[in-house]
Amino acid sequence: MKKRILSVLLDLAGVARARAAPKTVIGVVLDQSNQPVIGASVQVNGTTTGAVTDFDGNYELKNVPDNAVITFSYIGMKTKEVKATDTTINVTLEDDLQKLDEVVVIGYGAAKAKDLTSPITVVKGEELLSVPATSPMAAMQGKVAGVNVVNSGTPGSGPRVSIRGTGSFTNSSPLYVVDGMFYDDINFLNNSDIQEMSVLKDASAAAIYGVRAANGVVIITTKKGKRNQNAKITYNGYVGVQSATNVLKMANSQQYATMLLEANYDAYVSTMKASIDRYGGSYADADFHNWTYGANTDWYNELLRKAVITNHSLGISGGSEKAVYSLGVSYLYQDGIMDADNNYKRMNFRAAVDYDATSWLKVGFNGVFSNSTQILPNNSAWKEAFNAPSIYPVYDENNVEATPEKFASPASVGFTSNFYNPVATAQYNNSRNENYQVLSNFYAQFNILPEKLNFKTSYSYDYTGTRGRTYIKPYYVSSWQQKSVSELTKSTTNYYNYIWDNTLTYNDRFGDHKVGAMLGYSMRQQQYRYMWGKASNVPEGKDEYLYLSQGDADGVTLGDDGYCYRGQSYFARLNYDYAGKYLLMFTMRADGSSKYQEKWGSFPSVGASWVMSQESFMQDQKVLDYLKLRASWGRLGNDHVAASDGFASISTGNSASGVFGNTTIPGFQNTSYFSYLKWELVDETNVGVNFSTLNNRLNVDLDWYYRMTKRAVISPRLPFSNDVLAGNYGEILNTGFDISANWSDRIGNDFKYSIGLNLSFLKNEVKDLGGTAYVKGGKTINMVGEEMNSFYGFKVVGVYQNDAECAADPVAVANGLVPGDFKYEDVNKDGVIDGNDRQTLGAYIPNLTYGLNFGLSWKNLDFELTTYGQAGAQMYNRKRALRYSQSNFNFDEAQYTNRWTGEGSTNEHPSAAALVKGWNVSDQKVNSYFVESADYFRIQNITLAYNFRNIKMGNYTLPGIRVSVTADRPFTTFKANAFTPELSDAEGWDVEVYPLTSTYTLGVQIDF
Amino acid sequence: MNILKKALLYALPAMLLATTSCDFLDKEPENSVPENSVDFTNLDNMYMPVSGVYAKLRTGGMHWVIWPLSIIRDDDVWSGRVDDQATLVDMGNYNYDNSFWGLNEMWNQYYGMIKVANAALESLDSYAENIKSDADMKNYYTYCGEVRFLRAYAYYRLVQGFGAVTILRSNSQTDMTRSTIDAVNRYMLEDLEYGYTNMPLIRPNESNHFGAVTAYSAMALAAKVYLNMGNYAKVKELTDKIISSKKFELYDDYYNLFKIPGKLCNESLFECQCTDFGNGSGDMVDADQWFVFQGPANNGNISGWGFIGLYKEFRDWAAARGEGIRATTSFLLAGSTTPSGDVIRPLQNPTQTDCWNGKAYTPSHQLTEGRTKYGSNNNVRILRYADVLLMNAEACLEVGGDAVTPFNLVRTRAGMPTLSTVTIDNILDERRMELCCEWGERYNDLIRRGKAASTLKGWDASKTYYPIPFEQSSNIPSLANEPKDE
Repeated sequence: MKKRILSVLLDLAGVARARAAPKTVIGVVLDQSNQPVIGASVQVNGTTTGAVTDFDGNYELKNVPDNAVITFSYIGMKTKEVKATDTTINVTLEDDLQKLDEVVVIGYGAAKAKDLTSPITVVKGEELLSVPATSPMAAMQGKVAGVNVVNSGTPGSGPRVSIRGTGSFTNSSPLYVVDGMFYDDINFLNNSDIQEMSVLKDASAAAIYGVRAANGVVIITTKKGKRNQNAKITYNGYVGVQSATNVLKMANSQQYATMLLEANYDAYVSTMKASIDRYGGSYADADFHNWTYGANTDWYNELLRKAVITNHSLGISGGSEKAVYSLGVSYLYQDGIMDADNNYKRMNFRAAVDYDATSWLKVGFNGVFSNSTQILPNNSAWKEAFNAPSIYPVYDENNVEATPEKFASPASVGFTSNFYNPVATAQYNNSRNENYQVLSNFYAQFNILPEKLNFKTSYSYDYTGTRGRTYIKPYYVSSWQQKSVSELTKSTTNYYNYIWDNTLTYNDRFGDHKVGAMLGYSMRQQQYRYMWGKASNVPEGKDEYLYLSQGDADGVTLGDDGYCYRGQSYFARLNYDYAGKYLLMFTMRADGSSKYQEKWGSFPSVGASWVMSQESFMQDQKVLDYLKLRASWGRLGNDHVAASDGFASISTGNSASGVFGNTTIPGFQNTSYFSYLKWELVDETNVGVNFSTLNNRLNVDLDWYYRMTKRAVISPRLPFSNDVLAGNYGEILNTGFDISANWSDRIGNDFKYSIGLNLSFLKNEVKDLGGTAYVKGGKTINMVGEEMNSFYGFKVVGVYQNDAECAADPVAVANGLVPGDFKYEDVNKDGVIDGNDRQTLGAYIPNLTYGLNFGLSWKNLDFELTTYGQAGAQMYNRKRALRYSQSNFNFDEAQYTNRWTGEGSTNEHPSAAALVKGWNVSDQKVNSYFVESADYFRIQNITLAYNFRNIKMGNYTLPGIRVSVTADRPFTTFKANAFTPELSDAEGWDVEVYPLTSTYTLGVQIDF
Repeated sequence: MNILKKALLYALPAMLLATTSCDFLDKEPENSVPENSVDFTNLDNMYMPVSGVYAKLRTGGMHWVIWPLSIIRDDDVWSGRVDDQATLVDMGNYNYDNSFWGLNEMWNQYYGMIKVANAALESLDSYAENIKSDADMKNYYTYCGEVRFLRAYAYYRLVQGFGAVTILRSNSQTDMTRSTIDAVNRYMLEDLEYGYTNMPLIRPNESNHFGAVTAYSAMALAAKVYLNMGNYAKVKELTDKIISSKKFELYDDYYNLFKIPGKLCNESLFECQCTDFGNGSGDMVDADQWFVFQGPANNGNISGWGFIGLYKEFRDWAAARGEGIRATTSFLLAGSTTPSGDVIRPLQNPTQTDCWNGKAYTPSHQLTEGRTKYGSNNNVRILRYADVLLMNAEACLEVGGDAVTPFNLVRTRAGMPTLSTVTIDNILDERRMELCCEWGERYNDLIRRGKAASTLKGWDASKTYYPIPFEQSSNIPSLANEPKDE
């Protein structure tokens, strides 16, 4: 079977031409512990003759010319060159702990790790496999210093990623380049599709991507085959279960009632009595603290379930002398943790072929086709569950109007329209998306001067289509939670983008001088189209009926939107390398964009490095095995900024049209607040050092960066308006250190272990705001000298403990405060608490993120532990603060447990009564009680695996089976009164109501 | 092969340059019409900017939080709930909190309307440059009149709420120094005089744009401004004009005046219109939560957030007067069945109001089949002829004239016995009942007549107006300047 596939491909490749054949060389390749190295590449220098070792480490090379040099190489091992003087050559490859010879993908090219002048971190596809995450970036968390990954809880949606801090008010997500195509996220890829990811952290590396690169660049290469390798077939799969963790404990009925009855007995007693009357319990006791409640619904418990996740992928790859290929298919299925019909199914196919058509022409194709279906949960149920008190049950047979299910109505205890039955919300939902995505890339490379000058033209095309359908049948729970007639919404979303890249690359060597040059031209277009329609009274019964035209002809509503942006770029890179000691790199990109008034911008960068350990004066010392100093500077652009802001274009439609009788007359509004925006600019200086010591066992990368965002787009509020108008005003500085240290060693032949630490320190500061002292947005403030998006309000310095204390304080007297209310810091000591007493209260920017990783292997057993944490960030508990809008929402249990109950009980937490009072809880009078620490520590992943090797099955030997058990995100600890400190809101408003999940999986990998 | 290679070497860069024309980057944004490409020569579209201002009245001027702030400062109406938006209870008791979000919303929404109106006038001027016929020119004047009326309306509400406010003569104005109340009144009257000079002398329900404001709407609003200024001669002059036109009449059925049948009846001078297009499903163009906010705490579709309570003392006062249909219409009582047969459940939470604003109640049988939203398809009533009659009566008492006739018209329609002589207090009482829960008329009457201090508990002159919202005063220094008389 394997042979047949190979021969087919060899036929495709046009079988190698015969060469003069002096001799055949055979041998075996072993590692330091004398184990065979499987899959090592054996190559005759300067020819296409090569082989790959089999599972016993054996190879055979035919047609080896006399005096040829043979190169033996394998990932993670030092490359060895041997002169072909014998016909049997056995070699032992040593571990390469510095990984200096690894080829790293950089923008529009590749370079060896040792030749880099800037910090680029490579993550191999294998490292992602053990993490059961639906998006590859989620698996990156904690693996790379300086990359901050904030996971989202919703199935099928990807994490929020930022590289080296937040430098933009608009968008901080990096650019993803998948096989040449630009993406804003890579959620469509399966972890097993990925060969490797290069994270370009500093400006000198990223500048080749110009206006798209300000937030860093992640280059993803999908899997490719290897030359002269027999077909390698690999199955990889896992099955696991996800369960919610760290679910925030909410108040039970008794606690909820106690809070509100202590707050205002008269206002709330009727609600409690209504619950007891209808659902049981007793209010016989004179003290309401002793009342009991028949209804005590734990809404989160009602909504949660354990859910399965499984992933299977099968890949085949290999190559001949002229062609390499890689094919794969994968299937992912994930159930959502909400106890309703919701899941995510994804089928991915990929193929890559590279073929040397002639000695001067190489052509290739690769494609990823992804097809997924999401049955969407109604996530508003979580929010409703958070707000819903437990004093009404899920079902109520006496809710006579309820249909089709007898769900209980919050109206039964007197609640109005901010209260829902969350289980009904979860159940009465039928919403699905079908997604199709095709990424394809075709290229041709012309070798004009072999090994020196080539021209490559490459066309990448991406199509992403989503068909959405939501169909809600009639139901009734309460007057504000009902659907009187069925409603069907359908949408079609299409993204279709292309990029055409052309590069001319020249490499040459004159003695010790190595030079490289690359010139490029690129053009691209991004388009988006969106159409939706909504109709009522579409008959239920079968999916086949669900068409808008089956609904009422009257009242069908439609929408249509789209965009189209174009860009073209010229870029160049020059490399110079003297004797492997002194390295210089210049890049320049001129970017044009249709989005902006100012169409063209230039993005230069320069980098240099000095490999000191190559110098003669370093040869005698034994302390450092390797030492390289690096420095770079570069300028980047951020075009995630909207092209213009305001209303230069007029607004039309129903919202801008007046009603006249039974219809509207088309209207427009053109209040002209308008500004043309320019892209943001980032100037970054990076200074770094790489060194290896203690016999190469300790490898350390240390980088310091100074990253200034200029023309940062900020949006001051317009006078007399809720609107803001963005302009290029601000300067934001991010400075920090990224440190990554890895220790690897082996004890004896069988025991290997490694410890890795990555640390990232970050300081963020607003340097300038176009002359103004501060810019206040809707949630946070930006002040010169402070962290961007800081919380701003009063600082709680205590809680009034007794009447005497209130009477003695003019602030308390003036504001009618009572014991249990907050005491605020009077910053200007004028005896009045007003707007001038506000101060910054922290920001959602971590000052330290860290990951500690630990791996060991003993014989066939291996173990890996990764952790991740952050410190120094604050978050705003908006969920608690929202009580200003609805005072009888449910409480989290901590508010009950910690509440002020009398003199001396606490000086930090307010009384129950204080929580329903504007002085303590208000949307404008923000205070530090709601600002909480967002620090957390997590055990990210624990994997234990056993490898079975060379299993004889009759005549066939199975090279390997790997069985593993993984606990993903099994443990997280944090202090905040929250579901998670990983917030979807970049400004740090905690509105998260989606519980974190832990995933436990059993995985198998089989190499055929 | 060498030839081919050479050809490629030259051809490819040439191909690149060919595609590198500058046009590639010249791309208009999709799905938006740039402002400067509105075709001002197409006069068929000249009403579009006007319609846009009416839309802003609906989407901004009817924000639900503006409503309680407008009406809770008399002794008849309160927020209705202590367990939700408790600040509104305090505001109604004259404990003003300048950081209450609703004040800022009210400020911004009315100024938003003013900005849209300013821009619409500029657009109309651009159309005017292309006008060739007298008929179009007449339309232009009418349309400007409508926009200026709506702008004056926004200032009227701002002055009512905040007193001295900023006149925004241009949308790009940077000096936000406020103007005195008198200066703002004069500015409004300029707009309104333009309005009643240039708009047609018809009822709103006679307009080609059904329900659009007319000359009489402008006269009525101008009369209200003069009433606040104490210029009774002008009040009489303007209200006389409206009355003598004989175009307006009181709608017989006071109960249905505020319901679907009374939409834009012959009593109406100005309404904020909403529609469900007569369809049971699909789009509704409505005033968002304006009705729902004041819907009763109830089961089923005749329910809402339960705000806006009418005090028992006020209801008792009305009962003592022998009020019939006006009480039945205005008081939507807990534990009652409405004349239309809708059942309102008994009060469950004694801290909430047991009586809601019946004028905002649309009976379930009047809702379009399929609609469940409280008040859907109904209009918000703003100015009506009954107010004009009562203003006329008051002006007659001040400057001479027949006050009794207009006064008794209002009473008769309400099923109340006529009076043979009328005093200012009679008129104020009549207004209190007739216009209860309508845009803060009662509070305004007490202020302009100097009766607030003696009538309102906890009120003093410093409480006349709401404070400037904290969000505005803390961010715009020029608001702290002494108001100017221009």
